[in-house]
Amino acid sequence: MIEVRGLTKRYGDVLAVDDLSFDVEPGKVTGFLGPNGAGKSTTMRVMLGLDRPSSGTAVVHGRLFSTLSEPLREVGALLDPGSVHPGRTGRNHLRVAARTNGIPTARVDEVIEQVGLADAARRRIKGYSLGMRQRLGIAAALLGDPGVLLFDEPINGLDLDGVLWLRGLLRRLADDGRTVLVSSHLMSEMQQIADRLVVIGRGRLIADATVDEILRGLGHLHVRVRSPEADSLLTQLQEKGLNVQRVDAQELHVEDSTAEQVGRLAHTLRIPLHHLSEVEQSLEQAYIELTSSSVEFHGHPAPVPAATEAAR
Amino acid sequence: MTAQSTTPLVHASDEVSTGRLFVRTCAAEWTRLWTARSSRWFLAAATLVITGLGTALGFESAADPVEIQGGPAWQTAKSLAMPAQFAFLAFALTAVTSDFATGGIVPTLQWTPRRAVLFSARTTVAVGAATGLGVLLALAAALLAFTTAGSALVLPLAEGPAMVATVGLVFSAGAALAVGLGFLLRNAAAALVTLFLLMLVLPLLLGGLGYEWLADSFPGSGAFFLLMEETPQGDMTDASAAITMLVWAAGALLLGGLRLVREDANR
Repeated sequence: MIEVRGLTKRYGDVLAVDDLSFDVEPGKVTGFLGPNGAGKSTTMRVMLGLDRPSSGTAVVHGRLFSTLSEPLREVGALLDPGSVHPGRTGRNHLRVAARTNGIPTARVDEVIEQVGLADAARRRIKGYSLGMRQRLGIAAALLGDPGVLLFDEPINGLDLDGVLWLRGLLRRLADDGRTVLVSSHLMSEMQQIADRLVVIGRGRLIADATVDEILRGLGHLHVRVRSPEADSLLTQLQEKGLNVQRVDAQELHVEDSTAEQVGRLAHTLRIPLHHLSEVEQSLEQAYIELTSSSVEFHGHPAPVPAATEAAR
Repeated sequence: MTAQSTTPLVHASDEVSTGRLFVRTCAAEWTRLWTARSSRWFLAAATLVITGLGTALGFESAADPVEIQGGPAWQTAKSLAMPAQFAFLAFALTAVTSDFATGGIVPTLQWTPRRAVLFSARTTVAVGAATGLGVLLALAAALLAFTTAGSALVLPLAEGPAMVATVGLVFSAGAALAVGLGFLLRNAAAALVTLFLLMLVLPLLLGGLGYEWLADSFPGSGAFFLLMEETPQGDMTDASAAITMLVWAAGALLLGGLRLVREDANR
């Protein structure tokens, strides 16, 4: 169990985390979402005692991480996989970790095997790919068989096989009753992995709910319909008070409606349909809606070269 | 493994005593030190300087016995420790700064979040290794110089402990200064430049400009006096030289320790 209460972290003039409070419960995978600069990594760093909070607390099983004697036996964490000495071998990196917490070397070899790094363990880390470094970081997190696990963007750099493996691992860890917090930008992945979501933006809590609650809460179920008489159908739907958007000559999106409702109306009006489906709200859409006002760094479309304009 | 459970797994171990934690952290620091290639390079450089020059000086004494007739080989070893100390200072300093340079301080503090324990263990291992190896190499240099010099050098055993104590003091105080600067500045280049200024450049420069009293307040002057039994300028005693070195080492360790304990890990 992780409890974050009134956590604020300021770096000079920059307010990275602003009065943040939430719990991460055991037995679940909790997704930790937010745009770039939202304060996810800072929050995790404070949880792990790496950064001092300006105010507030983040405790694990009621204790500050910085007071733990054998932290690897209680909290395993993967933060930046690049934060390792590149000249050391993967196995030696883990041996150092094991020694600090009184963990036998045999356990080092076990976790190396578990994360699929057996062939590379005696090579220097500077030769590792990002995915291999992620696996090494996950091995370090698992070393003490902890009850609480924190992973910051663990999917970065993993190949498909690695993603599938990690997905299964996170599920198993949560099913074991462990507390699992995972930050990621990959919403589709979160939709598959997470039971609960904590969404933050500009350091503040935006949502703390299950994935279903977040999707349902946003509502906006919409229906995709294609018809050769789209104009007529559009008029009739609007007369019924529905919000309809035209996608192309034959396709419409009907907001806050159901396939049954649209199909019945088309049948009554004898308008032929070529396609009718309810479009499920994706977590990605929900995330964009939730965080649209909290995005700190916006990209801008590249300017169109003058020559291209002239060619038109 | 896959049974559904909402019971938190608490693997809280029995509370480990601070002493036991310190020993474990020292063991981890020892592994960390010797699994980095740079440590072995610095040791190789120091070995080459102190034993290679010790052998060469022995042969030179044998070839020209009139000049250094009957001189103690211990003094040869002490004078060779003067240049060799810089390899050990760099060795101790990079034992601290490499973690900041690579970002390795992030996992390090995840494994040892009690920063005072980490500071104590890292200081003990880096200073202990630099001092122990420095003294061993000085002894080896004295033996090599005595062996190769024939009758030109003597090796009075009664004077051995004094040489060991002097070299040990200079190396331990110098290494502690390097470790303290490493924790304080968190940057290898900045700490190395500062170290060379304090140990070599400023004492020589200020002494040369006539500020002997100021030059003698730097740790480099203390090291020079203790190893060479003289100073280029000014008046020092064994006690004032030792105190100068120890005060600088203690000050650097205090400031470095405070920075590690109080500030964010690697901001």
